[in-house]
Amino acid sequence: MRWIRAIVSLVLATAVFWGLDNRHGTFPALGKLLNPFAGFWQNGSRSDSVPEKLVVPGLRDEVRVVWDSRRVPHIFAQNDHDLYLAQGYVAASLRLWQMEFQALFTAGRISEVVGPIGLRQDLFNRRFGMPWAAENAVRAFRSNPKAREVIDAFSAGVNAYIRSLGRKGLPVEYKILDYRPELWTDDKCALLLKAMSYTLASYNQDAAMSKIKKALGEKTVEALYPDTPPLVEPVIPPETPLDFTPLPVLSLGTTGETGGGKARTTPAPAAFDFPDPPESRGFEAPGFRTGPGIGSNNWAVSGKLTRNGFPILSNDMHLELSLPAIWYEIQLSAPGVNVRGVAFPGAPLVVAGYNEAVAWGFTNGATDIIDWYDVTFKDEARAEYLYGGEWRKTAFREERIKVRGGATVVDRVAYTHYGPVVRWKDEPPFSNMNVPPGAALRWLAHDPSNEFMTLYALNRARTYADYVEALKAWACPSQNIVYADREGTIAIWHNGKFPLRRKGQGRYVLDGANPADDWREWIPRGHVPHVKNPERGFVSSANQLPAGAAYPYYIGWDFASFERGARINELLAAAHDVTPEDMVRMQADVLDIRARAVLPHLLEIVRKKPMTEAEKKGFEELRAWNFESRAALAAPTVFREFWNELNRRTWEDEKKGDMERMPWPGSQVLIDLIANNPGAEYFDDRTTVEKEGLPEIAERAFRTAIENLEKRLGPEGEAWQWGKVKGTELKHLGQIPGFGRKLPEADGVGHVINAIDTTWAPSWRMVVELGPKVRAWGNYPGGQSGNPGSKFYDDFVDDWAAGKPYELIFLKSADDPDPAVVARTLMRGEK
Amino acid sequence: MTVILVCLLIMLGLHLLTPYWWWVMIVPFAYGAAAAHSGKKAFQTGFFAAGLLWLGTSFFLYLTGSGLIATRMARMFGLGKSWLMIFISGLIAAVAAGVSGYAGYALRGLFKKAGRQERS
Repeated sequence: MRWIRAIVSLVLATAVFWGLDNRHGTFPALGKLLNPFAGFWQNGSRSDSVPEKLVVPGLRDEVRVVWDSRRVPHIFAQNDHDLYLAQGYVAASLRLWQMEFQALFTAGRISEVVGPIGLRQDLFNRRFGMPWAAENAVRAFRSNPKAREVIDAFSAGVNAYIRSLGRKGLPVEYKILDYRPELWTDDKCALLLKAMSYTLASYNQDAAMSKIKKALGEKTVEALYPDTPPLVEPVIPPETPLDFTPLPVLSLGTTGETGGGKARTTPAPAAFDFPDPPESRGFEAPGFRTGPGIGSNNWAVSGKLTRNGFPILSNDMHLELSLPAIWYEIQLSAPGVNVRGVAFPGAPLVVAGYNEAVAWGFTNGATDIIDWYDVTFKDEARAEYLYGGEWRKTAFREERIKVRGGATVVDRVAYTHYGPVVRWKDEPPFSNMNVPPGAALRWLAHDPSNEFMTLYALNRARTYADYVEALKAWACPSQNIVYADREGTIAIWHNGKFPLRRKGQGRYVLDGANPADDWREWIPRGHVPHVKNPERGFVSSANQLPAGAAYPYYIGWDFASFERGARINELLAAAHDVTPEDMVRMQADVLDIRARAVLPHLLEIVRKKPMTEAEKKGFEELRAWNFESRAALAAPTVFREFWNELNRRTWEDEKKGDMERMPWPGSQVLIDLIANNPGAEYFDDRTTVEKEGLPEIAERAFRTAIENLEKRLGPEGEAWQWGKVKGTELKHLGQIPGFGRKLPEADGVGHVINAIDTTWAPSWRMVVELGPKVRAWGNYPGGQSGNPGSKFYDDFVDDWAAGKPYELIFLKSADDPDPAVVARTLMRGEK
Repeated sequence: MTVILVCLLIMLGLHLLTPYWWWVMIVPFAYGAAAAHSGKKAFQTGFFAAGLLWLGTSFFLYLTGSGLIATRMARMFGLGKSWLMIFISGLIAAVAAGVSGYAGYALRGLFKKAGRQERS
């Protein structure tokens, strides 16, 4: 009896111990997590107090960190090394978990933390060559002494912080997921850069376009997905004269002379099977998905259009919403540099911002720097592949994916000279991307480059010449980099390293055996689209076509639709006496010019038809609408549903052959048809006998839209309000429930200037006036601290959603008596 | 009562010095194995000492800056009220400690039994 009692109670106690000490699936280790002395209870706001003095090993001199009331650090160092070491320390103290998680995610190592649920995502990132890309980047910046100094100092700063942490001080996510940070290395900085490249410069429709070409013919592709679409106003004003002599553009026929390859010896690639990506299943953290939601706005207005006579620069970069936010604000000051703006937690330097002389900002360039090559392997071993009539050796890279609570998965990734084969024909598709099976990936982000040097130089730029020089080191992701300075210059460069292509090269999956399809030369850096001080007095970009038909090189076709760009230009073309407040208001502009362009035509059709009560109400909403995408209105909801139905009915019946779906052409294509060609064949519903035109399709689309909304949301009422339907949400980066935030009151939609959509939104809004004293305003959806238990975690969100920026504190020195300064930290190295 | 207090203070000291949660199992186990007069007493001592320690500490932290994180944790666990986190923290420690204290006592029982048999 005693034996039984003893054994049962010991087993029970052991089970309780084991149960509380370990994670079960994604359920946390409760003992560790709930322990009030070292668990989550220690992650409250007490950690918000900043120390007056800190010993930070590695510092050479004293560093002073001044904190303003919004928790923005202003770092004053006496040399570059200390400056970036302190930035690393401060960044880690604010956002350690986020920076490491993003690096692990990109490296394809998330299974180490979350277990088997992350395996599919890890496999994709390994196959996509993310770790390989980071290794190449690390080699590039290790070979540059300045870049190396900056990144090594930054890493040392992060590590000084990590070493100072006990279990008690760990960010709460480590406690929930039950793991510890590893030491920071320079390749993690590279990984974050590559994560940005993936987010911004991996979107492509090459597989789908190949399939459409096969089914519908090249003419249809060119008509529906044109290189120079209607309504789009290019970034560079079309009347801008070229300030360079263009190189001759290669054609297929010139292969022999320039590429060194032989004439084609192989037949054209066989027809591929391109399945569409299925719904996402496994683990997928926000902040890293690609898609057409990507966008950004920037513009600069010359002093001749502004009230004070100073140039004003404006930038809002749209990225996926997350908490902690993707950016944090910082000022970095040392001899030779005093810069203010936003940075990525996991990398040194200021990314977008201003100094005492210049300001700069980004929008994504969306240039085509990603191609797929169908590869002919010799046999099942895949050890050799055909190129230029010869067999070349395949390289294999072994990827070992450690899985928490499971066996390590080993994957041998085949590399051609183009890059990795991401997916084989006999493998299930990835949910991340429509990857053509058996094709090798050629992606510029795999090439060694040193974007940090661009940031280093921009942080210190004083003149237009400095800016132009700085841009040369930037390869990928391509960006429209807007510029303004105190001298009065404004400019924009569609900047990056671009392969010199023949027209249309890379629109479809290319032939991996044909050297003529390879990337062989580059567009000279002085030849990328750019403009300085244009006649019209402003420059702008919104991810649209960079340059019009007169631009001599082909650099892609898949740019953003016309709306944001055209709206910005329309507002700026009418602008005079511009103030920074005007620019702030403009960033919050929600006028939907898609609706404005198309609704008058559509309503004219619908108004003549007999309508049910519900349809009458929906019609009235649209008729009375001022085209503003406001959260409290029902009209944007009705319009979106109507627009989607119209697209569905116009395009989806066009698919033929083995096409699984028809990707919708850009909005401008449909609008152009509606306005100028209502009898177009595309409107005919091919599934019916009778012949339809726009009137029939528009009527059906309207009725179905109302029917759908009633079915989904009930009779028209509060549930139809755009904000509720849109459901803007800031999810936690690790998707931990309760750590995010919903924002049903946010105005906007992806294709208006204030592009607050469901998950994508302006991630940093900034307005800079370049007067004798530079003044700036900014805000982002989040807060400076990554600690969900801190009031600084999401304290900017409401003001951001309402379009209210803060005036940015830009200190002259650590002793600046600015009233916004609330605390000071003195950092010293070890004695 | 004194035993509970002593037990609580020992655990408090160990918690302040180290980050390990399992002192709330080790200390009651040791008490149960070394000194408890009955299984009930061993269980109760652990239960109340550890429960009060974690309940009291988390309540203190809740009031002094950890309210927000408790709210988020409660949402993560699908609980409606943030103060439930205090209650759960106390309860988990209490149960773990009680079970462990009892196990310590039961283990000692084996040797006790052997001793008595020798004497009889």
